[in-house]
Amino acid sequence: MATLHLLSQSPWRQPLDSVLRLLGADDGLLLCGDACHALQPGSDAWTQLRGRTRLYALEEDLLARGLAAPEGVTAVDYPAFVALCVQYDKVNGWL
Amino acid sequence: MKFAIALFSPPHAPASRRALRFAEAVLAGGHEIVRLFFYRDGVYNASSALVAPQDEADLAAQWRAFVSDHQLDAVVCIAAALRRGVLNAEEAGRYGREAVSVTAPWELSGLGQLHEAAQMADRLVCFGGD
Amino acid sequence: MAKSLLLICRQSPWAGTAAREALDIALAGGAFELPIALLFMDDGVLQLLPDQQPALLEQKDLGANLQALPLFGVDQLYVCRDSLARRGLADAALALPTTPLQGAELPALVARYDLVMTL
Repeated sequence: MATLHLLSQSPWRQPLDSVLRLLGADDGLLLCGDACHALQPGSDAWTQLRGRTRLYALEEDLLARGLAAPEGVTAVDYPAFVALCVQYDKVNGWL
Repeated sequence: MKFAIALFSPPHAPASRRALRFAEAVLAGGHEIVRLFFYRDGVYNASSALVAPQDEADLAAQWRAFVSDHQLDAVVCIAAALRRGVLNAEEAGRYGREAVSVTAPWELSGLGQLHEAAQMADRLVCFGGD
Repeated sequence: MAKSLLLICRQSPWAGTAAREALDIALAGGAFELPIALLFMDDGVLQLLPDQQPALLEQKDLGANLQALPLFGVDQLYVCRDSLARRGLADAALALPTTPLQGAELPALVARYDLVMTL
């Protein structure tokens, strides 16, 4: 079963190591809130994250923070967020 | 699809607004919400005692309106609520507390309701963390 | 057939009510005879250390709730080897019987369950 993982904390507050250890080959990762800062080019978080999985980011959080989605990362609005939850078999929000 | 949505963060936290916008998009997309379940600090979203500053978004009021407008099943975990002082009239009376902060449409109940919702739904989506 | 649930417990027993409130989800599900498994990971592994004395901090003993898990039918208990090793606990005796997992075993575990919550 493919899992969509949801992260919302800064990668320097909640390191990416743990979610990366749990990611399966069919899984995806949606970054919300301060987790979007993991997409900052040149950051250690982006170095750790890029190319590791299917990446999505909540568009409003990117825009609010003045961040751009790097190539290969899909920015999603709320309707697309819902569609992702339908597409993946289950959703694992990190609490 | 049927969605069960759980919220673990309080109304002033980003996760609460995010969960509400998600829930709105679920309904707008033609899906169903079988239950909203509020746990841990998420119980504060059901409190009518919160006073949001005039120039800030009032998420507790927005959640209340959303639940009422769509007649959704909105359950607040009673154990989490009690320890956080989020009480309905019955519990306030039971424990001799003066403050009643939970009224309809919110319902205080147990964690079994979270499990039941997860079993009934096609997708369980939990919001919290921030 | 009931949907199976994996709870990933990442919180220390000493970090407020998070660990306890996560276990309460497991116990409530067990009471309804739902198929539930726990994976202890990150600071969650600290819950499994024996000889803890929470009463010294005026806290309730989480160990009692942990011991109750099998009684509620929650006996699929897993622990992340890496999380133990990073905390110097690779060879520690744990308070509950758990199956240690590492590497690809972790995503394989997540994939097997119908529902997952990371607490």
